[in-house]
Amino acid sequence: MAPKIVVENLAAGYGSGYVLEGISFNVSQGEIVCLIGASGCGKTTLLNIVAGLVPYQQGQVTMDSRPVDHPGPDRVMVFQDDAVFPWMRVHENVEYGLRVKRMTKEARTRRAGEVIDLVGLSGNERMFPKELSGGMRKRVDLARALAVEPEVLLMDEPYAALDVMTKERLQIEFVRICEETNMTCIFVTHDLEEALFVGHRVILLGRRPARIVATYEVPFSHPRDISLKRAADFQELRGELASRIE
Amino acid sequence: MSADTPSAPQGDEAAQTGAFNGPDADSELLRGRTWLGWILLTAKKSVVPLLILGTWTIITYIWPLAYGERLIRPIFLPGPHDLVKALLQMGPYLPESILSSVTMTLLGFALGTALGIAIGVSMAYSKNTRELFGGILDFLRPVPALALIPLFILWFGIGKGPQIALIVFGTSVILGLTTIEAIRNVPPVYIRAALTMGASRWHIYRTVILPSITPHILGAVRVAGVASWGLDVAAEFIGAQTGLGYLIIIRQQYLDTPGIMLIVIIFSILAMGLDLIIRAVERPITKWTERSTRRGIVAAVVGAT
Repeated sequence: MAPKIVVENLAAGYGSGYVLEGISFNVSQGEIVCLIGASGCGKTTLLNIVAGLVPYQQGQVTMDSRPVDHPGPDRVMVFQDDAVFPWMRVHENVEYGLRVKRMTKEARTRRAGEVIDLVGLSGNERMFPKELSGGMRKRVDLARALAVEPEVLLMDEPYAALDVMTKERLQIEFVRICEETNMTCIFVTHDLEEALFVGHRVILLGRRPARIVATYEVPFSHPRDISLKRAADFQELRGELASRIE
Repeated sequence: MSADTPSAPQGDEAAQTGAFNGPDADSELLRGRTWLGWILLTAKKSVVPLLILGTWTIITYIWPLAYGERLIRPIFLPGPHDLVKALLQMGPYLPESILSSVTMTLLGFALGTALGIAIGVSMAYSKNTRELFGGILDFLRPVPALALIPLFILWFGIGKGPQIALIVFGTSVILGLTTIEAIRNVPPVYIRAALTMGASRWHIYRTVILPSITPHILGAVRVAGVASWGLDVAAEFIGAQTGLGYLIIIRQQYLDTPGIMLIVIIFSILAMGLDLIIRAVERPITKWTERSTRRGIVAAVVGAT
């Protein structure tokens, strides 16, 4: 099967010099690929390029063999910052992309109900974001992205600002949701454990201009359990990754 | 239990946010809201006004008893009874003047606000608008509104024309600038989120930018509301035949200090009334903001108690 997303010899930057150079990788349908690297290495820029939010100078990015040149609901992004609209209630946030698609009110309500259920937010539909905790707001953000049934989910360090407990719970749910929906995903993070826990494959990016330093197939089978994080071979792989981060 | 468990938002987080719709009776810093607290608070708030009234009474009524003449001549500081007399004397003229000033001010304020927001949004929305009209707006923006009065009278004639034009000019500058700034300050992540969900530029303006800037705009609307009374008075000073500002000029010619003070008080009441209305409209629209739940120690620091 042809890969879903193909990034080929990509180079991009703002002003002088490239932030990314010579980046090539594929993402297959149903695969979760994690991009890791030190802060400011260009992971987010790479994700923004795949999202169609940032232009690139060289190479090519394609999805289903069509070049990516603008943002669209087939590649929805979940952000590190709080991107939930504070002036909308939970269900209005989740319905946002469905309104853009001009879905009827009943269809919207039904679909929003499904994904709110999926991320475990039932009963909070009428809340305003400021009434929710950080973790719950992240669930809203994920639900809003999933609602439009994207072909690819782009996760930009979504759980970086959360406490460890909340983060682990959301990671478990994320893995479950991706398995249930056979979601294709590019997951940017600087948390090695997170990358190894959610990813099928981990791509390690080097310093500016970022290049691919190494690619690891993550050997652990699905479905994954949180106890995996305490396993010896998991920690061994984590140690190896850590030693290669610049 | 962590507050993050979605089905059971009864954790610490919920305790903090649960008071969203209710009073903040449990806040230590607002504990004064018992009936005794209210009396003490009212007493404290009355200290300065009572001191002013007391001094005024002493100067007007008690000092003359002791020394035979007023400490300050009535032409500079009339007594309370002079104001009452002025009210009775001017009474018949007041309704018409108030109606005229209020109509002009509200009309100019409403038009100016709408025009300012429209200019701000279209300048942000369209590159063409920005490039075509940006220069002329940069030129007009710093012009002191009052400097335009003679020109407006020349162009729009004596009467209501220049009056409205002046208020529209003054308020639209305030709203236009604020709107442009507020749009530039919309957190980029909201716009990116909307873009990745396929929203068009127009849709983003309607569903993201407008709601996001509304709290800032409403702040500017309050400033413009206050400014519009000032602009109305300035316009009436020069080119009107009716209105409270016109009445002030007439009273000045008669050296009628009580009359002038009375009109000042009327203006103050009108402006406070408009501000109250704006704030009443503001509250339900901005209930999603963090500001509306500020309480306790944060409210004390920002002076929102």
